[in-house]
Amino acid sequence: METYAFYVNGQYVTTEKKQTLLRFLRDELQITSVKDGCSQGACGACTVMIDGSTVKACVPSTDRLEGKHILTVEGLSEWEKQVFTYAYGEAGAVQCGFCIPGMVLCTKALLDKNPEPSEEEIRYALRNNYCRCTGYVKIIEAVRLSAKILREGVLPKKSGEDWKTGSRVHRLDVEEKVLGYGKYPDDYNIEGMCYGSALRSKYPRARVLSIDTEAAKAVPGVIAVLTAKDIPGENKIGHLKHDQYTLIPTGGLTHYLGDAVALVAAKDMETVEKAKKLIRVEYEVLPAVHNIEEAKAPDAPKVFDEEESNVLTRKHVSRGNAEEAIRSAKHVLAEHFETPWTEHAFLEPECAVAYPDEDGDIMILSTDQSAYCTRNECGMVLGTDKVKVENALVGGGFGGKEDMTVQHHAALLAWHTKRPVKVRLSRAESLLIHPKRHHFVMDFIMGCDENGKILGVKAKVESDTGAFASLGGPVLERACTHAAGPYAYENFEIEGTAYYTNNPPAGAFRGFGVTQTCFATETLLNMMAEKIGITSWEIRYRNAIRPGGVLPNGQIVDDSTGLVETLEAVKEEYDRALKEGKPTGIGCAMKNAGVGVGIPDWGRVKLVVEEDGKLHIYTGASCIGQGLGTVLVQMIVSHTDLKREEIVYERSNTWIAPDSGTTSGSRQTLVTGEACLRACRKLMEAKKDKIPLKELAGREFYGEYLAKTDPLGADVKNPVSHVAYGYATQMCILDKKTGKIEKLVAAHDVGKAVNPLSCEGQIEGGVVMSMGYALRENYAIDENLKPADKFGTLGLFRSHEIPIIQAIVVEKPGLKVADGAIGIGEITSIPTAPAITDAYYWLDGKRRFSLPISGTPYERKG
Amino acid sequence: MAVKKSFPYRAAFVACKGYCGTGKESQDAENACRYGCIACGKCEEVCRFGAIAVRDNVACVDEELCIACKRCVKECPQGIIRIHECADYIAVKCSNKEKGKTALSCASSCIGCGICERVCTAEAIRVVENCAMINEELCLSCGMCAVKCPRHAIVDLRGLLTELS
Repeated sequence: METYAFYVNGQYVTTEKKQTLLRFLRDELQITSVKDGCSQGACGACTVMIDGSTVKACVPSTDRLEGKHILTVEGLSEWEKQVFTYAYGEAGAVQCGFCIPGMVLCTKALLDKNPEPSEEEIRYALRNNYCRCTGYVKIIEAVRLSAKILREGVLPKKSGEDWKTGSRVHRLDVEEKVLGYGKYPDDYNIEGMCYGSALRSKYPRARVLSIDTEAAKAVPGVIAVLTAKDIPGENKIGHLKHDQYTLIPTGGLTHYLGDAVALVAAKDMETVEKAKKLIRVEYEVLPAVHNIEEAKAPDAPKVFDEEESNVLTRKHVSRGNAEEAIRSAKHVLAEHFETPWTEHAFLEPECAVAYPDEDGDIMILSTDQSAYCTRNECGMVLGTDKVKVENALVGGGFGGKEDMTVQHHAALLAWHTKRPVKVRLSRAESLLIHPKRHHFVMDFIMGCDENGKILGVKAKVESDTGAFASLGGPVLERACTHAAGPYAYENFEIEGTAYYTNNPPAGAFRGFGVTQTCFATETLLNMMAEKIGITSWEIRYRNAIRPGGVLPNGQIVDDSTGLVETLEAVKEEYDRALKEGKPTGIGCAMKNAGVGVGIPDWGRVKLVVEEDGKLHIYTGASCIGQGLGTVLVQMIVSHTDLKREEIVYERSNTWIAPDSGTTSGSRQTLVTGEACLRACRKLMEAKKDKIPLKELAGREFYGEYLAKTDPLGADVKNPVSHVAYGYATQMCILDKKTGKIEKLVAAHDVGKAVNPLSCEGQIEGGVVMSMGYALRENYAIDENLKPADKFGTLGLFRSHEIPIIQAIVVEKPGLKVADGAIGIGEITSIPTAPAITDAYYWLDGKRRFSLPISGTPYERKG
Repeated sequence: MAVKKSFPYRAAFVACKGYCGTGKESQDAENACRYGCIACGKCEEVCRFGAIAVRDNVACVDEELCIACKRCVKECPQGIIRIHECADYIAVKCSNKEKGKTALSCASSCIGCGICERVCTAEAIRVVENCAMINEELCLSCGMCAVKCPRHAIVDLRGLLTELS
């Protein structure tokens, strides 16, 4: 047998196995800073340096590396480690962190050869690596800063060292993410661990007639092969509605190509895949439901045996008399709109590790948006509450990690095998399986008076929620409630329907339905402005909701309402761009912080003084990359006499940390933040005599907050639908010559920015994500209802393609909780698409009603 | 270097490895590749910067010296020189448009098998007229096509993932 010898971080290593460098580094050397994001050469998360240049480790095979020198972040010098940790922290370049070790090595490879790179050279050095969180702006800044420090040889002082609210502190998770020692679930390698994977349905809609697992079970190394009959608890689970099958039983219908039919656990992935091929499933292939039109046909095949029809839910929101108002309006516009499916494309594919722990519970290490949801849903499958969940690092979510994808399978396999089991989706599985952003078709009518004042809006929208409900109901509801836009008018009516189809499921996605309806409303408003002869800015300023005003949903908005301020923040540049004749578009949005509409929305935080004399923060709230831990620490430093060094942020779990709801609805900063402030007050009461913290060892301080709201349709004159709304104005300026975007300005009212650096990062990342939504991203589904794309064809923006992005943080006080901080997670992605399409109208005179838009230089030319 | 270049750098690229030896004695041989470099030296003659030269029967470009003026591109009788962005270091070094077996005249010719198409995550490489072509705008420079190419016709110009020649 041949031996392949090369060097890894200076160490001479040999292997006899021919495998990719990525697998060798992760599996044999346990170098887990090299992340497996796709294994297809697309994402760049596994980037290493070979002989001084960057290479994606999933590409070369060990037999081709003879004598080469491979470097991972572990092999950086101490000085380089300090520099990159500082620079990435100071620039605010780290969010979920999954792409970061790769980005750091791109940084080093560039700076080793070119100590003073230009902006363009930096962008090129990063351009083969994707980041889905940051929009690259702050990573580019981190490279620039690294270059400066490496040239000067001195590490400057950090910004925001006081850690108070409003400081631009380095996030607390920078170092573990830059140096790659922070663990995502896939980075755990527990003794005796085996690997699990699901056999997926061969057809999107078929009846499973029989499943024969005998041959698979006989494969040496196979530990378990499970089918639906091996589920001790409920087969059907779900975030709200329980219609997601853990495993399709014999006799049952499959709903999409991602439905699991059987589970295999084996000693390694090769054996798992071999065994999966030997499972014989007999299907009766049935006609599938491909789209909304087919779903609503009177003789349509039913996606679910259990349902009366393919309608998941209908929503109707009405206030005033929209029909009458539109009839009497001087100007009326009616258009049909469509928005595409969108893939979240978080860099970290879904992964869970489950094992029986010393208490006899099933312990799950998970990447998700709520450890408690994972516990509850896995508990249902196992028919027991003896389940614990702890979040590992979460490599991005954006709504796509709210549902169970691997956790329940890992739990079930661990329960049966009594061994640690890792279940991880390949990138192709990830593209198929987790719920996507809903495709919407929408018809809108808007009526305005001669001054552009909106009199009424009436709409009908339909969404394709795919193979199971996921959050299709609430997404449709939010799409409907927010379709009116952030404007003061009284007549609004919308009717929405979500349909099941045999497509992959659709669920939560940053913006939660509002990204879709906002595109329609804002586009109509832009057309209306032109019709009336005023600017897109002016029509918004005239209609803008102001403090004390009444929204079309009846809610009286509070003093924190800052839409006008966001409009004013872009005014000067808007006027200048118009004067210079630059095609310029604008869009506004509002987005709730907190789930609202009467759903009990609890934030809970437990502050525990532990034996180490430090205050440990326990909250069952996932940090999916947005930086929740840093926000909570800043709040504690601001509201107690503690210093940063005395506080420890613990990852979300389900046995010490109290349930603080899902990371969804831009809610954690506000809802969990307020709970944290309440716990701080209790701590300070106990500390009133300036007792040193260590004397309080063993004490717990608990804070909880209920964001109380009225249900939709509540019989009150002015219901409180949401405790807070964020507001935004985004502006797109095009370069006439190139037809490309010169600049995107995003002004966001956040109430109070706890960490302005993180706030800007959210804005930049959200804007770039929606540049994709507006201009290029498409999650195509083929005639067999299979996703047609690979990670590299989704159309995600790359670092060299992004325009100047200016994030403007507007701080309008008035919210009485959480220091006035309003969540920013989702709204950053909402007004981008209408602003961009408006700008292109002013460039070429074409109004666009369907996303992604065509006729721009950003279109994928394959 | 006499001429200051602006980033992103561009340079001429010769889509042939010169393995068949067409340029040398076997020009009229039955099996010679009709598409490759014939080592005629016209590119070398017209280059003002000494950036392209025939070495071992094939034209080679020195990207450091090349300013992408396109003179060689226009002059090449085989039409196998084009301008590319130097940052796109994964490239198809073959222009053979023969089908299957008839393309085997050279040890390193593209036979249009399409493996590169299948392994490309970005759909950036396509077989056009039996020869692979990379769309540099879409290419993520991972080199998967290069390491999977059974004919070694696709190269990493940095010499890391594949041999240079």
